[in-house]
Amino acid sequence: MDAIVSQAVNGLVLGFLFVVISIGMSIIFGTMGVVNFAHGVFFALGAYLALTIRPITGYPGLLLLAPLGAGAAGMAVEALLLRPLYGKEPLLGLVLTFGLALFMEELIRTIWGSTGYPFDGPRWLSGFIQYGPVVLTRYRMAVLAVTVLVTGAVWLFLEKTPYGRIVRAGSRDPEMVAMLGINLKRVFTWVFGLGTLLAGIAGVLAAPLWSVVPSMAESAIMPAFVVVTIGGLGSFAGAVVGGLIVGVTFSLTIQFWPAASSASMYVLMAIVLLLRPRGLFGERWERFE
Amino acid sequence: MKLDEQSQPTPAEQAISRRRALKAIGRVGKAAAAGALLQPLGLLRAAAEAAEPIRIGVLLPKSGTYAVQGSHGHHGAQIAVDDFGGSVLARPIELVWEDEPSPQTSVQNMRKLIEERKVAAIQGGVSSGDILAVMPIALRRRVLLMATGPNATEITGKNCNRYTFRVDLPNRVTVRTVYPTLSKHGKRWYFVVASYAWGIDAYNQMKELLVKDGGTVLGYDQAPLGTTDFSSYILKIKQAAPDVVYLGLGGADLTNFLKQFHEIGLTGKIPISSPIVNDSDLWAAGPEAATGTFPKLWNYTGPYNTPLSAAFTRKFTARFGHPPEVEAWQDWFGATAILTAIKETRSTDSAKLVGFLETHKFVGYKNAPIYFRAWDHQLIQPTLEVTVKPKITGKYDYFNVIAQYPRHGMSLEAFFGTPEEIGCRLGPL
Repeated sequence: MDAIVSQAVNGLVLGFLFVVISIGMSIIFGTMGVVNFAHGVFFALGAYLALTIRPITGYPGLLLLAPLGAGAAGMAVEALLLRPLYGKEPLLGLVLTFGLALFMEELIRTIWGSTGYPFDGPRWLSGFIQYGPVVLTRYRMAVLAVTVLVTGAVWLFLEKTPYGRIVRAGSRDPEMVAMLGINLKRVFTWVFGLGTLLAGIAGVLAAPLWSVVPSMAESAIMPAFVVVTIGGLGSFAGAVVGGLIVGVTFSLTIQFWPAASSASMYVLMAIVLLLRPRGLFGERWERFE
Repeated sequence: MKLDEQSQPTPAEQAISRRRALKAIGRVGKAAAAGALLQPLGLLRAAAEAAEPIRIGVLLPKSGTYAVQGSHGHHGAQIAVDDFGGSVLARPIELVWEDEPSPQTSVQNMRKLIEERKVAAIQGGVSSGDILAVMPIALRRRVLLMATGPNATEITGKNCNRYTFRVDLPNRVTVRTVYPTLSKHGKRWYFVVASYAWGIDAYNQMKELLVKDGGTVLGYDQAPLGTTDFSSYILKIKQAAPDVVYLGLGGADLTNFLKQFHEIGLTGKIPISSPIVNDSDLWAAGPEAATGTFPKLWNYTGPYNTPLSAAFTRKFTARFGHPPEVEAWQDWFGATAILTAIKETRSTDSAKLVGFLETHKFVGYKNAPIYFRAWDHQLIQPTLEVTVKPKITGKYDYFNVIAQYPRHGMSLEAFFGTPEEIGCRLGPL
């Protein structure tokens, strides 16, 4: 029983990391209708930018600046590449972001090289804390705190601010929002920037835990897709709940059947889709019918 | 067996080769001008052949867990091409690199290399699963396959074939290189291995040694290839409190494990080992997370290096800005072996290349002559036991080389196993 509690808590922490990776992707899809295959690369970009600016700013600075860099890159991509595709075949956006993912991974390889880089967390966060059967490292507790704060801040932004209302309204009925005199093009650019900024935050947080290599995008994109599909495309609450369920399932499977740990999230996704094809929190949205 | 120094063209020979090619083209022009009827056809063919490159297929990962090894291996092969002055048999050498992301795609890419790119031979393979999948194609299409990086014992064991050679060490050898040192820490071990041919074979080989020696397997977990988060495995290890953790993990998986092992504060507290180690895995983990005692095929530093391999290190570092990791050496040697065979047999016929490789001894690469054993095609070579330095000061200098195996008067042949132990039955050419 102790082992199960310990693994479940560990899975929740991992789940929050998945949440931060996924909510950006979910917001982008919900608002713009773009399935962002390049989301994982912005995650990797966050880690690589952190690596580069760390000697200059130290850890607190890079937590702010590296995601901002990823967000700025996202805004540039939206304005230059995605904008001409709005109103056209939705598949085009998917193909473009898929190509972009490959291109940006090669770009990272060209700039930073193919060999991985060491990246340790702050020294004051090393070691672990034990509460009964639960063992948590200090770094993961910090990750938990940051991810909960970020998730809460995004929720407040979407629910309680006029900008958030525009984003939510734009995702349901963009034509009506445009008719109210709101520049949706600009909104889309900011939303894509916000989504990629969140991916960048996840990348910075994951850098001390995972290998910082150009292909690290792959390790983020698949869980993100699974989480968003389980939670329901475009749903903020879905991404949060989906991320936590995936994290806990992954950890508990390792306890009992480690070889099936990667497959467990796909099995979970298949079960959810069979029972509720729109995902747990997916709603019927007129514009995607 | 022939015993000679590395067979590479001297600059003078290369110059002669180029002159010959130019002369051949010149002759075509003259003959056509003279209106000769038969000669030009033959000469045209000769000139066209002279211009046609000799292609060597490189099957190494460009993506996924082993992408870094793939890149280093390709760099190593490039140095071998440079060593030959970029040409062999007066024809330019062209490396054709295809991805090795999974057994299924590797099979497709192997076929593409043979059927579309018409390669003379193929080298590479980091994952044993991929190589085991493409080996039957090499045999069926009678194309030389130089497996430079996989370790599963069966590649040169029960699954061996006449057209496949292996540079890297089989798990049978790697486990014997570190067991004597590791068993001194205790005999209650925990295993975490990648859930495919290599990892499972590593577990079976090491478990056999451990159990025979009175040891206990405290835990055995298979981790899917490409696992990013090992924290749940590490929690289980922490709870089991083993004497040794034996990891059948490589590439980014090993890096991830070491980083997370360090994160929970276990680095240096429980000894770690793995069936093989790539320098780049530890470079990526960083000096604080790097730990362990490992078998290693080659190391760019240490007392057992030779002038020829040291020269490789110099050329590699000058070209790529950092020293070569072991995968680079393996592919450098693999490409050198193929090109030497082509040069010496004056042929690209794989059957002839196989015949040459079965009888040739390569001198100067390690501190004993190394050779592909004729009856299983395993590269018979001394191997190293290395341990991570207690204090790492150089960005790329992580290992102390502590011993070379086999030791205590054991012969290389015996160390790599007898025909009865290996179980390889090579077919006809």
